[in-house]
Amino acid sequence: MEDLVGGWWDKLIRRTAYRGYPQAAVALADIEKQAPLFFRAMGGDPALTLRTAVGTAHGARRRLLERIAGTGEQVELAWRDGQSLYLPEKIDLFPDAARNRELYFWLMALAAQPQHSDDGDWLTRNRRASAACLAAMPGLAALYRRLVTALLPLRDTPRDAAAAAQEAAIRAALQQPEAAIALPPCRTPPQPVLLWLHPTPPTAPTAGADDKQTPEMEDSDSKETKKKRRYRARRDTADERKNGMLLVFRAESIFTWDEYVRVNRHTDDDDMDDAGAAAEDMNTLTISRDNRRRASRLKFDLDLPAAAYDDTPLGSGILLPEWDYRRQRLVAEHCCLKPMLPRDATPAPLPDKLQPLARRLRRQFQALSPERTRKSGEASGPDIDLDRLIRFLAEKRSGVAVAEPPLYQAWPPGGRNMACLLLADLSLSTESWLGEAGQVIGVIRDSLLLFAEALSACGDDFGLYGFSSIRRDEVRYLLLKDFAERYDDTTRGRILALRPGYYTRMGAAIRQSTRILLEQPAQRRLLLIVSDGKPNDLDHYEGRYGVEDTRQAVLEAKRAGLIPFCVTVDKEAGEYLPHLFGRRGYSVVHDARRLPQVLTGLYASLTA
Amino acid sequence: MNAPVHAKLASQLPFYQPVADECTVFETAWRQQLPVLIKGPTGCGKTRFVAHMAAKLGLPLFTVSCHDDLSAADLVGRHLIAGGDTRWCDGPLTRAVREGGICYLDEVVEARKDTTVVLHPLTDDRRILPIERTGEELQAPPGFMLVVSFNPGYQHVLKTLKPSTRQRFVALSFDFPLPEVERAVVQHEGGVDERLAAQLVTLAGQIRRLTGYDLDEAVSTRLLVYCAKLIASGMGVRLACRTALVEPLSDEADTLAALMAVVDTQFGA
Repeated sequence: MEDLVGGWWDKLIRRTAYRGYPQAAVALADIEKQAPLFFRAMGGDPALTLRTAVGTAHGARRRLLERIAGTGEQVELAWRDGQSLYLPEKIDLFPDAARNRELYFWLMALAAQPQHSDDGDWLTRNRRASAACLAAMPGLAALYRRLVTALLPLRDTPRDAAAAAQEAAIRAALQQPEAAIALPPCRTPPQPVLLWLHPTPPTAPTAGADDKQTPEMEDSDSKETKKKRRYRARRDTADERKNGMLLVFRAESIFTWDEYVRVNRHTDDDDMDDAGAAAEDMNTLTISRDNRRRASRLKFDLDLPAAAYDDTPLGSGILLPEWDYRRQRLVAEHCCLKPMLPRDATPAPLPDKLQPLARRLRRQFQALSPERTRKSGEASGPDIDLDRLIRFLAEKRSGVAVAEPPLYQAWPPGGRNMACLLLADLSLSTESWLGEAGQVIGVIRDSLLLFAEALSACGDDFGLYGFSSIRRDEVRYLLLKDFAERYDDTTRGRILALRPGYYTRMGAAIRQSTRILLEQPAQRRLLLIVSDGKPNDLDHYEGRYGVEDTRQAVLEAKRAGLIPFCVTVDKEAGEYLPHLFGRRGYSVVHDARRLPQVLTGLYASLTA
Repeated sequence: MNAPVHAKLASQLPFYQPVADECTVFETAWRQQLPVLIKGPTGCGKTRFVAHMAAKLGLPLFTVSCHDDLSAADLVGRHLIAGGDTRWCDGPLTRAVREGGICYLDEVVEARKDTTVVLHPLTDDRRILPIERTGEELQAPPGFMLVVSFNPGYQHVLKTLKPSTRQRFVALSFDFPLPEVERAVVQHEGGVDERLAAQLVTLAGQIRRLTGYDLDEAVSTRLLVYCAKLIASGMGVRLACRTALVEPLSDEADTLAALMAVVDTQFGA
């Protein structure tokens, strides 16, 4: 009974003390589709991804009710760093939803302003950035005035003289960002200003390159909504003591909630709900490298297999360049690409379970095979080309000797004149399971088989390749079917023998595919890429580096006259694929089981 | 095929705001009897530049908008039947050669590859136009000049000029003008005040940042002028921006909404 009443009281007091207007809340998800475009138009870096920010303790004095309820300690502020733009997950600051929505756009415009390190303190930085926005964009200025007018009554006036002076300075800076105003000193931190960027943005947690995998993998089985959240993270070296908890415990040195202690405990796959809630409440999450790994994570540390078990290499390797976005140039001969044949591939027929679908696809694609179109000006044919005949007779009557031109119309069998190279991602991440769809690699195998069935039915030239990588000196490029080969049981056997492994150095694989495709004589050349995630590799090829290199490789392919297109099963591909392939250059398959149909359907519509 | 635009008097010179030294280059090329190739995105002022220069040099201008069905006969001329008899009729290229004017082939990559071959003898030092059908061989007078243009960032990556054709021209690269220059253009052509023109140009700069990521083609100076004209004739600013700047660029609802948000940073209420 006490618990129940306590629960009610807690709910009641929290609701009473809550300062926002939940009924007018606008979520980041509502504007997510417009946000990247708007941010870029404002001058923001196009390579940044959008993420939700998490609460930070602001430390300012709270209202009495809030202190009773134990709420209002944290506030979600916007900021950006070298990788991402962080915006609050939802904004319910104002009673009017339109204002809350406008606040998102204001924050994006503000964050897109160039940052100068010599800009002084938090207030000056924000004041100057605001002033720059207002001077350049009069429409935005009107929006800003509305926001400030709505915001000022919502801010408390502190009773303490120093705090009141500070608040007055902030209000003045909000109302007149052009005027030079300094922040007077005060013991307590000022009330947070939601119209401004974060005073002390959290440091990027990607400082250590090889740690990148760990947090991502941990996320993969936690709740989707929390996935993009970013906690104030602090990096620490592992505690030297083996058993952190077994130190001589002195009652007066009680650890605080978020202090780092190395607990000698085997990590197991526990319920992530509690951890998520705990992470919400903590000011700082400390991450350090542990020598122990979860069993499920072990697979990401594979070394090279023994030579006897490896795929059969073909030749010594091809040197390919790679794009370094920091230096903005191509580094020549940076990667070594090794063409290989899958090991243990024995000729095999199409698996029985794929037969019905394959039959249907073959029928569909036979219909796609080249239509006959009428051609005029042929030397022979069933019809007379009247236009040309009239012109010829007119010329003849003018008395000038003209050679007889071809004067017939014909219906020669047309050629589609189309070549397609399908490049499949075979990195280890394709080993993961996708619910009922089974393993990603299984879906990719089926898709390759069915795609090949369909294309051989319509008669277009095509090649099938797969890729994975282990650092820059070994980009593995698996030959499944080249353009000259026939699609038969040998190639089917190679597809069926595919095994996932290693990482995704996508840029090198795309460059090699571009070379192969350029050798094809067809008029239109399509480069289809099937993927399940972002480009990444063991070395620095991750995050922005990998994305930028892949983008360059795609641009090179486009410049060479190819049509690159990406099909992915990664549900979050919307964050990075538009940057890589352009808005119309990719497609996300939400239900992986439908990948074969989507792939063939896409081919039909792309080449129609 | 467009009707030839004959030379106008100097007082009726079509407005053109020079960006760099393109006018001098063009005039020198004309004096030296060299053909000119102009590259640049849609709506950046290529056609206007040629019209301006033709008027300035006092030459008749023959403009041909190229398309994929354009044949050599469409350029050179053909026999027509008239009153039971046939009569030779000059094409725009032949007329330009005969009259010693400027022949301007707009979007020349759109024309079929074999069509551009008739240009070759005109673009080297021979400067002749052989007309097979009448047995004539025209020698181009000193006033004649060949000008072609194309848009390198065009949708069809496969369509580009053959190197053998490109090599025959003096080339000028056009782009959207600098903000101050573009402001003057919008102000003059659109008939709006300086402040509004500056706002439109700032807005265009913001939208042009999206080229290649979210938009295939950027907003052109031409669209800015259209927008300014709509505003000058009394249309609401937001509506004018929507119809002249936003809607022509995309069909996707999300992109349109985001572009309108960008418009609002200049013209929001």
